[in-house]
Amino acid sequence: MAEYYFDELIITEIRKNNEVALQELYKTHYPMVFHLICSNTGTEQEAKDVYQEAIIAFYERVQQPDFVLTCKIKTYLYAVARRLWLKRLGEKKRFQGMEEVETFFGIEDEMTNLDEREKTFQLMKDALDRLGDPCRSIIEDFYLNNHSMDEIRDKFGYTNADNAKNQKYKCLQRLKKLFFAGYNEITE
Amino acid sequence: MNDQDLDYQFDDFAEGRLNQDAFVAFKKRMEEDASFRAKAEEHVRVVEALKLYGRREVVLNTLREISLPTPTSVRELTSNTAPVANRSVRRIWPMMAVAASVALLSIVGTLFMTQSLETKQTAYYKELRRNVEQIKRSQSMIIADIASKEKPAPLPGRYAGTGFLVSGNGYVVTSHHVIKGADSVYIENEFFGRLKTSVVFSDADNDVSVLRIDTSTNFAAFRLPFMVNAAEANLGEAVYTLGFPREDVVFGEGSISASSGYRQNPNAYQVSVPVNPGNSGGPLFNSKGDLVGIISGLQTETSGAAFAIKSTVLLDVINEMPLDSLQAPLVLSKQNNLRNLPKVDQVKKWREFVFIVRVYNNK
Repeated sequence: MAEYYFDELIITEIRKNNEVALQELYKTHYPMVFHLICSNTGTEQEAKDVYQEAIIAFYERVQQPDFVLTCKIKTYLYAVARRLWLKRLGEKKRFQGMEEVETFFGIEDEMTNLDEREKTFQLMKDALDRLGDPCRSIIEDFYLNNHSMDEIRDKFGYTNADNAKNQKYKCLQRLKKLFFAGYNEITE
Repeated sequence: MNDQDLDYQFDDFAEGRLNQDAFVAFKKRMEEDASFRAKAEEHVRVVEALKLYGRREVVLNTLREISLPTPTSVRELTSNTAPVANRSVRRIWPMMAVAASVALLSIVGTLFMTQSLETKQTAYYKELRRNVEQIKRSQSMIIADIASKEKPAPLPGRYAGTGFLVSGNGYVVTSHHVIKGADSVYIENEFFGRLKTSVVFSDADNDVSVLRIDTSTNFAAFRLPFMVNAAEANLGEAVYTLGFPREDVVFGEGSISASSGYRQNPNAYQVSVPVNPGNSGGPLFNSKGDLVGIISGLQTETSGAAFAIKSTVLLDVINEMPLDSLQAPLVLSKQNNLRNLPKVDQVKKWREFVFIVRVYNNK
Protein backbone atom coordinates (compact mmCIF):
# COMPACT_ATOMS: atom_id res chain seq x y z
CA MET A 1 0.00 0.00 0.00
CA ALA A 2 2.65 2.46 1.06
CA GLU A 3 4.32 2.18 -2.31
CA TYR A 4 1.09 3.02 -4.11
CA TYR A 5 0.65 6.12 -1.99
CA PHE A 6 4.24 7.04 -2.75
CA ASP A 7 3.57 6.53 -6.45
CA GLU A 8 0.46 8.71 -6.47
CA LEU A 9 2.31 11.41 -4.59
CA ILE A 10 5.27 11.29 -6.94
CA ILE A 11 3.01 11.55 -9.99
CA THR A 12 1.05 14.47 -8.59
CA GLU A 13 4.25 16.31 -7.73
CA ILE A 14 5.92 15.55 -11.06
CA ARG A 15 2.89 16.94 -12.86
CA LYS A 16 3.46 20.14 -10.94
CA ASN A 17 7.06 20.09 -12.21
CA ASN A 18 8.40 19.50 -8.74
CA GLU A 19 12.09 18.84 -9.34
CA VAL A 20 12.65 17.34 -5.92
CA ALA A 21 10.02 14.65 -6.52
CA LEU A 22 11.66 13.70 -9.79
CA GLN A 23 15.05 13.53 -8.16
CA GLU A 24 13.72 11.40 -5.33
CA LEU A 25 12.13 9.02 -7.80
CA TYR A 26 15.41 8.93 -9.71
CA LYS A 27 17.33 7.93 -6.60
CA THR A 28 14.76 5.41 -5.40
CA HIS A 29 14.75 2.83 -8.17
CA TYR A 30 18.31 2.98 -9.45
CA PRO A 31 19.58 -0.12 -7.61
CA MET A 32 16.94 -2.24 -9.34
CA VAL A 33 18.03 -1.19 -12.84
CA PHE A 34 21.68 -1.31 -11.87
CA HIS A 35 21.40 -4.97 -10.92
CA LEU A 36 19.27 -5.77 -13.93
CA ILE A 37 21.92 -4.48 -16.30
CA CYS A 38 25.03 -5.40 -14.40
CA SER A 39 23.86 -8.98 -14.04
CA ASN A 40 23.23 -9.04 -17.80
CA THR A 41 26.70 -8.16 -19.10
CA GLY A 42 26.24 -4.41 -18.72
CA THR A 43 28.45 -1.82 -17.04
CA GLU A 44 27.60 0.76 -14.45
CA GLN A 45 27.71 3.54 -17.06
CA GLU A 46 25.34 1.63 -19.29
CA ALA A 47 23.03 1.08 -16.35
CA LYS A 48 22.99 4.81 -15.68
CA ASP A 49 22.27 5.63 -19.33
CA VAL A 50 19.45 3.13 -19.60
CA TYR A 51 17.97 4.16 -16.27
CA GLN A 52 18.06 7.82 -17.23
CA GLU A 53 16.26 7.03 -20.45
CA ALA A 54 13.61 5.04 -18.58
CA ILE A 55 13.08 7.89 -16.12
CA ILE A 56 12.69 10.36 -18.95
CA ALA A 57 10.22 8.04 -20.67
CA PHE A 58 8.22 7.91 -17.46
CA TYR A 59 8.45 11.66 -16.94
CA GLU A 60 7.20 12.42 -20.45
CA ARG A 61 4.43 9.88 -20.08
CA VAL A 62 3.25 11.46 -16.84
CA GLN A 63 3.13 14.89 -18.45
CA GLN A 64 0.60 13.66 -21.00
CA PRO A 65 -2.92 14.61 -19.95
CA ASP A 66 -4.37 11.16 -20.62
CA PHE A 67 -1.88 9.39 -18.38
CA VAL A 68 -3.30 6.90 -15.89
CA LEU A 69 -1.16 4.80 -13.58
CA THR A 70 -1.93 1.18 -14.47
CA CYS A 71 0.97 -0.42 -12.65
CA LYS A 72 3.54 0.53 -10.07
CA ILE A 73 6.14 3.08 -11.16
CA LYS A 74 8.72 0.48 -10.30
CA THR A 75 7.17 -2.03 -12.70
CA TYR A 76 7.04 0.58 -15.44
CA LEU A 77 10.66 1.58 -14.98
CA TYR A 78 11.78 -2.01 -14.81
CA ALA A 79 9.93 -2.99 -17.97
CA VAL A 80 11.13 -0.02 -19.97
CA ALA A 81 14.72 -0.38 -18.79
CA ARG A 82 14.61 -4.05 -19.63
CA ARG A 83 13.39 -3.40 -23.17
CA LEU A 84 15.93 -0.66 -23.71
CA TRP A 85 18.69 -2.92 -22.54
CA LEU A 86 17.50 -5.75 -24.78
CA LYS A 87 17.58 -3.40 -27.71
CA ARG A 88 21.09 -2.28 -26.92
CA LEU A 89 22.22 -5.87 -26.52
CA GLY A 90 20.67 -6.66 -29.88
CA GLU A 91 22.58 -3.79 -31.46
CA LYS A 92 25.81 -5.01 -29.88
CA LYS A 93 25.05 -8.64 -30.78
CA ARG A 94 25.57 -9.59 -27.19
CA PHE A 95 22.13 -10.99 -26.74
CA GLN A 96 22.38 -13.51 -23.94
CA GLY A 97 19.24 -15.36 -23.07
CA MET A 98 17.11 -12.53 -21.74
CA GLU A 99 13.60 -13.27 -22.83
CA GLU A 100 11.11 -10.83 -24.30
CA VAL A 101 8.20 -10.75 -21.94
CA GLU A 102 5.15 -8.52 -21.81
CA THR A 103 5.67 -7.03 -18.40
CA PHE A 104 2.69 -4.72 -18.51
CA PHE A 105 -0.12 -4.08 -20.91
CA GLY A 106 0.75 -1.60 -23.66
CA ILE A 107 4.51 -1.81 -23.36
CA GLU A 108 4.86 -2.34 -27.13
CA ASP A 109 3.21 1.00 -27.93
CA GLU A 110 5.18 2.55 -25.13
CA MET A 111 8.48 1.40 -26.60
CA THR A 112 7.62 2.43 -30.18
CA ASN A 113 6.60 5.82 -28.92
CA LEU A 114 9.72 6.14 -26.80
CA ASP A 115 11.91 5.14 -29.70
CA GLU A 116 10.30 7.83 -31.86
CA ARG A 117 10.83 10.49 -29.22
CA GLU A 118 14.41 9.44 -28.65
CA LYS A 119 15.12 9.73 -32.37
CA THR A 120 13.50 13.17 -32.55
CA PHE A 121 15.48 14.30 -29.53
CA GLN A 122 18.80 13.17 -30.99
CA LEU A 123 18.03 14.77 -34.36
CA MET A 124 17.11 18.06 -32.78
CA LYS A 125 20.17 17.95 -30.56
CA ASP A 126 22.44 17.37 -33.56
CA ALA A 127 20.66 20.02 -35.60
CA LEU A 128 21.03 22.58 -32.82
CA ASP A 129 24.67 21.69 -32.34
CA ARG A 130 25.35 22.26 -36.01
CA LEU A 131 23.29 25.46 -36.09
CA GLY A 132 25.77 27.26 -33.84
CA ASP A 133 25.50 30.61 -32.10
CA PRO A 134 23.88 33.11 -32.11
CA CYS A 135 21.16 31.27 -34.02
CA ARG A 136 20.89 28.53 -31.43
CA SER A 137 20.50 31.01 -28.58
CA ILE A 138 17.87 33.00 -30.43
CA ILE A 139 15.86 29.89 -31.23
CA GLU A 140 16.17 28.57 -27.68
CA ASP A 141 15.23 31.91 -26.16
CA PHE A 142 12.23 32.31 -28.40
CA TYR A 143 10.80 28.79 -28.37
CA LEU A 144 12.03 27.27 -25.12
CA ASN A 145 12.47 30.17 -22.71
CA ASN A 146 9.49 32.02 -24.18
CA HIS A 147 11.30 35.34 -24.39
CA SER A 148 9.57 38.10 -26.32
CA MET A 149 11.01 39.61 -29.48
CA ASP A 150 11.82 42.78 -27.57
CA GLU A 151 13.88 40.87 -25.02
CA ILE A 152 15.72 39.08 -27.81
CA ARG A 153 16.35 42.38 -29.57
CA ASP A 154 17.91 43.81 -26.39
CA LYS A 155 19.93 40.72 -25.63
CA PHE A 156 21.47 40.33 -29.06
CA GLY A 157 21.76 44.05 -29.79
CA TYR A 158 19.41 44.38 -32.75
CA THR A 159 18.22 47.86 -33.55
CA ASN A 160 14.55 46.96 -33.66
CA ALA A 161 12.19 44.05 -33.13
CA ASP A 162 11.69 43.59 -36.86
CA ASN A 163 15.37 42.90 -37.31
CA ALA A 164 15.25 40.38 -34.51
CA LYS A 165 12.17 38.79 -36.06
CA ASN A 166 13.92 38.53 -39.38
CA GLN A 167 16.97 36.98 -37.77
CA LYS A 168 14.85 34.43 -35.91
CA TYR A 169 13.09 33.55 -39.16
CA LYS A 170 16.39 32.95 -40.93
CA CYS A 171 17.69 30.84 -38.06
CA LEU A 172 14.57 28.74 -38.01
CA GLN A 173 14.81 28.15 -41.74
CA ARG A 174 18.35 26.87 -41.28
CA LEU A 175 17.31 24.70 -38.38
CA LYS A 176 14.50 23.20 -40.44
CA LYS A 177 16.95 22.34 -43.18
CA LEU A 178 19.39 20.71 -40.76
CA PHE A 179 16.67 18.83 -38.90
CA PHE A 180 14.99 17.38 -41.97
CA ALA A 181 18.34 16.60 -43.60
CA GLY A 182 19.19 14.46 -40.57
CA TYR A 183 15.73 12.96 -40.64
CA ASN A 184 16.03 11.94 -44.27
CA GLU A 185 19.46 10.48 -43.68
CA ILE A 186 18.01 8.06 -41.15
CA THR A 187 14.95 7.05 -43.11
CA GLU A 188 16.72 6.55 -46.40
CA MET B 1 2.22 38.19 -47.26
CA ASN B 2 5.97 37.70 -47.09
CA ASP B 3 7.77 34.70 -45.69
CA GLN B 4 8.51 36.42 -42.41
CA ASP B 5 4.85 37.11 -41.72
CA LEU B 6 4.04 33.59 -42.73
CA ASP B 7 6.62 32.34 -40.26
CA TYR B 8 4.97 34.43 -37.59
CA GLN B 9 1.59 32.93 -38.42
CA PHE B 10 3.01 29.41 -38.36
CA ASP B 11 4.36 30.07 -34.90
CA ASP B 12 0.96 31.16 -33.72
CA PHE B 13 -0.57 28.07 -35.26
CA ALA B 14 1.99 25.71 -33.74
CA GLU B 15 1.55 27.22 -30.29
CA GLY B 16 -2.23 27.28 -30.54
CA ARG B 17 -2.44 31.04 -30.26
CA LEU B 18 -4.71 31.58 -33.26
CA ASN B 19 -8.23 32.70 -32.50
CA GLN B 20 -11.25 30.83 -33.84
CA ASP B 21 -11.63 32.74 -37.10
CA ALA B 22 -7.95 32.79 -37.91
CA PHE B 23 -7.72 29.10 -37.13
CA VAL B 24 -10.58 28.26 -39.52
CA ALA B 25 -9.02 30.41 -42.23
CA PHE B 26 -5.67 28.76 -41.66
CA LYS B 27 -7.16 25.29 -41.90
CA LYS B 28 -8.99 26.23 -45.06
CA ARG B 29 -5.84 27.46 -46.68
CA MET B 30 -4.07 24.28 -45.71
CA GLU B 31 -6.69 22.28 -47.54
CA GLU B 32 -6.55 24.40 -50.64
CA ASP B 33 -2.84 25.03 -50.91
CA ALA B 34 -0.66 21.92 -50.81
CA SER B 35 2.65 23.76 -50.59
CA PHE B 36 1.29 25.93 -47.80
CA ARG B 37 0.18 22.82 -46.02
CA ALA B 38 3.58 21.16 -46.38
CA LYS B 39 5.29 24.29 -45.03
CA ALA B 40 2.93 24.50 -42.10
CA GLU B 41 3.34 20.85 -41.17
CA GLU B 42 7.10 21.13 -41.43
CA HIS B 43 7.05 24.14 -39.16
CA VAL B 44 4.88 22.42 -36.59
CA ARG B 45 7.11 19.36 -36.57
CA VAL B 46 10.22 21.41 -35.99
CA VAL B 47 8.62 23.41 -33.23
CA GLU B 48 7.34 20.24 -31.55
CA ALA B 49 10.77 18.64 -31.82
CA LEU B 50 12.26 21.79 -30.32
CA LYS B 51 9.82 21.67 -27.43
CA LEU B 52 10.56 18.00 -26.83
CA TYR B 53 14.24 18.79 -26.83
CA GLY B 54 13.72 21.68 -24.42
CA ARG B 55 11.67 19.63 -21.97
CA ARG B 56 14.15 16.78 -22.02
CA GLU B 57 17.05 19.10 -21.47
CA VAL B 58 15.33 20.48 -18.36
CA VAL B 59 14.74 16.98 -17.03
CA LEU B 60 18.26 15.88 -17.84
CA ASN B 61 19.65 18.88 -16.04
CA THR B 62 17.53 18.04 -13.03
CA LEU B 63 18.79 14.46 -13.09
CA ARG B 64 22.40 15.50 -13.62
CA GLU B 65 22.35 17.23 -10.26
CA ILE B 66 22.02 13.81 -8.67
CA SER B 67 24.94 11.44 -8.60
CA LEU B 68 23.79 7.87 -8.25
CA PRO B 69 25.98 5.87 -5.90
CA THR B 70 26.93 2.37 -6.95
CA PRO B 71 24.60 0.02 -5.15
CA THR B 72 26.45 -2.74 -3.39
CA SER B 73 24.04 -4.40 -1.04
CA VAL B 74 23.36 -8.02 -1.93
CA ARG B 75 19.80 -7.62 -0.70
CA GLU B 76 19.08 -5.26 -3.53
CA LEU B 77 19.92 -7.84 -6.15
CA THR B 78 16.94 -8.56 -8.31
CA SER B 79 15.82 -12.04 -9.25
CA ASN B 80 13.31 -11.51 -12.01
CA THR B 81 10.88 -8.71 -11.39
CA ALA B 82 11.63 -6.41 -8.53
CA PRO B 83 14.07 -6.11 -5.68
CA VAL B 84 12.97 -6.83 -2.17
CA ALA B 85 12.12 -3.45 -0.76
CA ASN B 86 14.85 -2.17 1.48
CA ARG B 87 13.10 -0.75 4.48
CA SER B 88 16.09 1.12 5.86
CA VAL B 89 15.71 4.74 6.86
CA ARG B 90 17.87 5.80 3.93
CA ARG B 91 15.31 4.50 1.47
CA ILE B 92 12.30 5.83 3.31
CA TRP B 93 13.40 9.38 3.89
CA PRO B 94 12.83 10.65 0.36
CA MET B 95 9.27 9.43 0.65
CA MET B 96 8.99 11.20 3.97
CA ALA B 97 10.52 14.37 2.61
CA VAL B 98 7.95 14.59 -0.17
CA ALA B 99 5.10 13.63 2.15
CA ALA B 100 6.18 16.15 4.77
CA SER B 101 6.34 18.98 2.27
CA VAL B 102 2.83 18.18 1.08
CA ALA B 103 1.55 17.92 4.67
CA LEU B 104 3.09 21.26 5.58
CA LEU B 105 1.54 22.87 2.53
CA SER B 106 -1.91 21.60 3.35
CA ILE B 107 -1.67 22.69 6.98
CA VAL B 108 -0.60 26.18 6.00
CA GLY B 109 -3.30 26.25 3.35
CA THR B 110 -5.99 25.22 5.80
CA LEU B 111 -4.83 27.74 8.35
CA PHE B 112 -4.81 30.41 5.70
CA MET B 113 -8.37 29.62 4.72
CA THR B 114 -9.88 29.18 8.16
CA GLN B 115 -7.69 31.82 9.85
CA SER B 116 -8.03 29.92 13.05
CA LEU B 117 -6.70 26.96 14.99
CA GLU B 118 -9.93 26.51 16.90
CA THR B 119 -12.38 23.93 15.79
CA LYS B 120 -15.80 25.30 16.36
CA GLN B 121 -17.97 23.00 18.38
CA THR B 122 -21.51 22.78 17.20
CA ALA B 123 -22.91 20.03 19.37
CA TYR B 124 -22.76 20.66 23.08
CA TYR B 125 -24.35 19.77 26.35
CA LYS B 126 -27.47 21.67 27.28
CA GLU B 127 -28.82 21.78 30.78
CA LEU B 128 -32.56 21.54 30.92
CA ARG B 129 -33.44 24.28 33.36
CA ARG B 130 -36.43 26.28 32.26
CA ASN B 131 -36.21 30.03 32.32
CA VAL B 132 -39.66 31.22 33.30
CA GLU B 133 -38.90 34.88 33.81
CA GLN B 134 -40.38 36.00 30.54
CA ILE B 135 -43.70 34.27 31.05
CA LYS B 136 -43.85 35.26 34.68
CA ARG B 137 -43.11 38.86 34.06
CA SER B 138 -45.83 39.30 31.50
CA GLN B 139 -48.14 37.46 33.82
CA SER B 140 -47.31 39.66 36.76
CA MET B 141 -47.95 42.74 34.68
CA ILE B 142 -51.41 41.47 33.87
CA ILE B 143 -51.94 40.74 37.54
CA ALA B 144 -50.73 44.17 38.47
CA ASP B 145 -53.14 45.63 36.02
CA ILE B 146 -56.21 43.82 37.21
CA ALA B 147 -55.40 43.60 40.93
CA SER B 148 -55.46 46.48 43.32
CA LYS B 149 -52.19 48.34 43.59
CA GLU B 150 -51.94 47.85 47.36
CA LYS B 151 -50.99 44.17 47.06
CA PRO B 152 -47.61 43.83 45.35
CA ALA B 153 -47.41 40.93 42.93
CA PRO B 154 -45.29 38.06 44.22
CA LEU B 155 -41.74 38.02 42.95
CA PRO B 156 -41.67 35.83 39.89
CA GLY B 157 -39.76 32.55 39.96
CA ARG B 158 -36.73 32.74 37.73
CA TYR B 159 -36.14 29.16 36.87
CA ALA B 160 -38.03 25.95 37.01
CA GLY B 161 -37.03 22.33 36.99
CA THR B 162 -38.28 19.03 38.28
CA GLY B 163 -37.60 17.23 41.53
CA PHE B 164 -38.86 14.11 43.27
CA LEU B 165 -39.09 12.67 46.73
CA VAL B 166 -36.32 10.25 47.48
CA SER B 167 -37.24 9.47 51.04
CA GLY B 168 -40.53 9.47 52.91
CA ASN B 169 -39.26 11.89 55.53
CA GLY B 170 -39.06 14.88 53.21
CA TYR B 171 -35.89 14.70 51.11
CA VAL B 172 -36.21 15.77 47.51
CA VAL B 173 -33.64 15.25 44.76
CA THR B 174 -33.14 17.56 41.79
CA SER B 175 -30.34 18.65 39.47
CA HIS B 176 -27.72 20.93 40.89
CA HIS B 177 -27.93 23.27 37.91
CA VAL B 178 -31.63 23.87 38.59
CA ILE B 179 -31.13 25.31 42.07
CA LYS B 180 -27.71 26.85 41.41
CA GLY B 181 -27.53 30.37 42.81
CA ALA B 182 -30.96 30.17 44.40
CA ASP B 183 -32.18 32.43 47.17
CA SER B 184 -35.14 30.24 47.88
CA VAL B 185 -36.49 27.05 46.43
CA TYR B 186 -40.11 25.96 46.45
CA ILE B 187 -41.54 22.71 45.24
CA GLU B 188 -45.08 22.28 44.10
CA ASN B 189 -47.45 19.61 42.86
CA GLU B 190 -51.16 18.93 42.96
CA PHE B 191 -51.00 16.48 45.86
CA PHE B 192 -48.84 18.34 48.33
CA GLY B 193 -49.40 21.88 47.18
CA ARG B 194 -46.59 24.38 47.55
CA LEU B 195 -43.82 23.54 49.98
CA LYS B 196 -40.76 25.55 51.01
CA THR B 197 -37.49 23.65 50.91
CA SER B 198 -33.89 24.29 51.77
CA VAL B 199 -30.85 22.92 50.00
CA VAL B 200 -29.05 20.52 52.30
CA PHE B 201 -26.42 19.19 49.93
CA SER B 202 -25.16 19.87 46.47
CA ASP B 203 -22.74 17.95 44.31
CA ALA B 204 -21.92 20.19 41.37
CA ASP B 205 -19.66 17.62 39.70
CA ASN B 206 -22.37 15.00 39.52
CA ASP B 207 -25.11 17.59 39.02
CA VAL B 208 -27.15 16.31 41.97
CA SER B 209 -28.73 18.35 44.78
CA VAL B 210 -30.70 17.20 47.78
CA LEU B 211 -33.40 19.47 49.22
CA ARG B 212 -35.29 19.06 52.45
CA ILE B 213 -38.87 20.10 52.90
CA ASP B 214 -38.94 22.64 55.72
CA THR B 215 -40.31 21.31 58.96
CA SER B 216 -42.50 24.39 59.20
CA THR B 217 -44.68 22.98 56.46
CA ASN B 218 -47.42 20.50 57.19
CA PHE B 219 -45.61 17.67 55.39
CA ALA B 220 -46.04 14.35 57.16
CA ALA B 221 -43.58 11.52 56.74
CA PHE B 222 -44.72 8.39 54.94
CA ARG B 223 -43.22 5.37 53.25
CA LEU B 224 -42.29 5.60 49.56
CA PRO B 225 -43.37 2.65 47.40
CA PHE B 226 -40.23 2.51 45.23
CA MET B 227 -36.54 1.89 45.71
CA VAL B 228 -33.43 3.54 44.29
CA ASN B 229 -31.81 1.01 41.97
CA ALA B 230 -28.37 0.09 43.32
CA ALA B 231 -27.38 -1.74 40.13
CA GLU B 232 -26.77 -0.18 36.74
CA ALA B 233 -29.61 -0.36 34.26
CA ASN B 234 -29.16 -2.53 31.18
CA LEU B 235 -28.86 -1.26 27.66
CA GLY B 236 -32.24 -1.27 25.97
CA GLU B 237 -34.18 -1.31 29.23
CA ALA B 238 -37.45 0.59 28.99
CA VAL B 239 -37.47 3.76 31.11
CA TYR B 240 -40.04 6.43 31.90
CA THR B 241 -39.90 9.93 33.21
CA LEU B 242 -42.18 12.58 34.62
CA GLY B 243 -41.25 16.22 34.49
CA PHE B 244 -42.41 19.79 34.24
CA PRO B 245 -41.33 21.27 30.93
CA ARG B 246 -44.66 23.08 31.22
CA GLU B 247 -46.76 24.00 34.20
CA ASP B 248 -48.37 20.58 33.89
CA VAL B 249 -46.66 17.28 34.49
CA VAL B 250 -45.50 15.55 31.28
CA PHE B 251 -44.83 11.86 30.89
CA GLY B 252 -42.13 10.54 28.61
CA GLU B 253 -40.84 7.11 27.77
CA GLY B 254 -37.90 5.58 25.97
CA SER B 255 -35.01 3.29 26.71
CA ILE B 256 -31.43 3.30 27.87
CA SER B 257 -29.43 3.98 24.69
CA ALA B 258 -25.93 3.97 26.14
CA SER B 259 -24.36 3.33 29.50
CA SER B 260 -22.26 6.48 29.29
CA GLY B 261 -23.24 10.10 29.02
CA TYR B 262 -22.02 13.19 27.24
CA ARG B 263 -18.38 12.75 26.27
CA GLN B 264 -18.24 9.25 27.69
CA ASN B 265 -19.19 10.45 31.16
CA PRO B 266 -19.41 7.14 33.06
CA ASN B 267 -21.76 8.61 35.64
CA ALA B 268 -24.64 9.09 33.23
CA TYR B 269 -26.78 7.20 30.77
CA GLN B 270 -27.82 8.29 27.34
CA VAL B 271 -31.57 7.83 27.08
CA SER B 272 -33.99 8.09 24.19
CA VAL B 273 -36.59 9.95 26.19
CA PRO B 274 -38.02 13.17 24.79
CA VAL B 275 -37.00 15.94 27.17
CA ASN B 276 -37.21 19.70 27.17
CA PRO B 277 -36.03 22.57 29.34
CA GLY B 278 -37.76 22.01 32.69
CA ASN B 279 -37.24 18.26 32.66
CA SER B 280 -33.96 18.59 34.56
CA GLY B 281 -34.04 16.82 37.90
CA GLY B 282 -36.89 14.57 36.85
CA PRO B 283 -36.87 10.93 37.88
CA LEU B 284 -36.11 8.17 35.40
CA PHE B 285 -37.73 4.93 36.49
CA ASN B 286 -37.87 1.46 35.02
CA SER B 287 -40.75 -0.91 34.35
CA LYS B 288 -40.73 -2.03 37.99
CA GLY B 289 -41.10 1.53 39.14
CA ASP B 290 -37.62 1.71 40.66
CA LEU B 291 -35.57 4.85 40.22
CA VAL B 292 -32.68 4.38 37.74
CA GLY B 293 -31.62 7.95 37.01
CA ILE B 294 -32.12 11.69 37.12
CA ILE B 295 -32.68 13.61 33.87
CA SER B 296 -29.94 16.20 33.54
CA GLY B 297 -29.46 17.46 29.98
CA LEU B 298 -29.29 16.73 26.32
CA GLN B 299 -26.88 17.04 23.44
CA THR B 300 -27.85 19.70 20.97
CA GLU B 301 -27.99 18.88 17.28
CA THR B 302 -28.41 15.20 18.01
CA SER B 303 -31.92 13.92 17.99
CA GLY B 304 -32.98 11.74 20.86
CA ALA B 305 -29.83 12.07 22.92
CA ALA B 306 -30.80 13.00 26.45
CA PHE B 307 -28.69 12.26 29.48
CA ALA B 308 -29.55 11.05 32.93
CA ILE B 309 -27.36 10.77 36.02
CA LYS B 310 -27.22 7.16 37.20
CA SER B 311 -29.06 6.16 40.37
CA THR B 312 -25.86 4.51 41.59
CA VAL B 313 -24.28 7.95 41.59
CA LEU B 314 -27.21 9.31 43.57
CA LEU B 315 -26.68 6.58 46.18
CA ASP B 316 -22.99 7.50 46.38
CA VAL B 317 -23.92 11.14 46.83
CA ILE B 318 -26.39 10.31 49.58
CA ASN B 319 -23.80 8.18 51.36
CA GLU B 320 -21.22 10.94 51.14
CA MET B 321 -23.54 13.61 52.49
CA PRO B 322 -22.02 14.99 55.69
CA LEU B 323 -24.11 13.76 58.55
CA ASP B 324 -24.27 17.10 60.27
CA SER B 325 -25.99 18.66 57.30
CA LEU B 326 -28.98 16.47 58.06
CA GLN B 327 -31.43 17.20 60.83
CA ALA B 328 -33.02 13.83 60.38
CA PRO B 329 -31.43 10.84 58.66
CA LEU B 330 -32.31 10.35 55.03
CA VAL B 331 -34.09 7.02 54.99
CA LEU B 332 -34.39 5.24 51.68
CA SER B 333 -37.26 2.90 51.05
CA LYS B 334 -36.32 -0.77 51.07
CA GLN B 335 -39.44 -2.08 49.45
CA ASN B 336 -41.11 -1.76 46.08
CA ASN B 337 -44.90 -1.89 45.99
CA LEU B 338 -45.26 -0.79 42.38
CA ARG B 339 -43.65 -3.86 40.86
CA ASN B 340 -46.80 -5.63 39.78
CA LEU B 341 -48.93 -2.64 38.88
CA PRO B 342 -49.74 -1.81 35.27
CA LYS B 343 -47.75 1.09 33.90
CA VAL B 344 -50.62 3.56 34.07
CA ASP B 345 -51.04 2.92 37.77
CA GLN B 346 -47.29 3.12 38.37
CA VAL B 347 -47.27 6.51 36.71
CA LYS B 348 -50.30 7.57 38.70
CA LYS B 349 -48.41 6.72 41.91
CA TRP B 350 -45.19 8.34 40.78
CA ARG B 351 -46.98 11.58 39.95
CA GLU B 352 -47.50 12.15 43.66
CA PHE B 353 -43.77 12.27 44.31
CA VAL B 354 -42.74 14.49 41.41
CA PHE B 355 -42.62 18.23 41.94
CA ILE B 356 -42.03 21.31 39.92
CA VAL B 357 -39.04 23.05 41.49
CA ARG B 358 -39.34 26.83 41.47
CA VAL B 359 -36.19 28.78 42.01
CA TYR B 360 -36.08 32.39 43.08
CA ASN B 361 -33.18 34.74 43.22
CA ASN B 362 -32.92 38.47 43.22
CA LYS B 363 -29.79 38.88 41.16
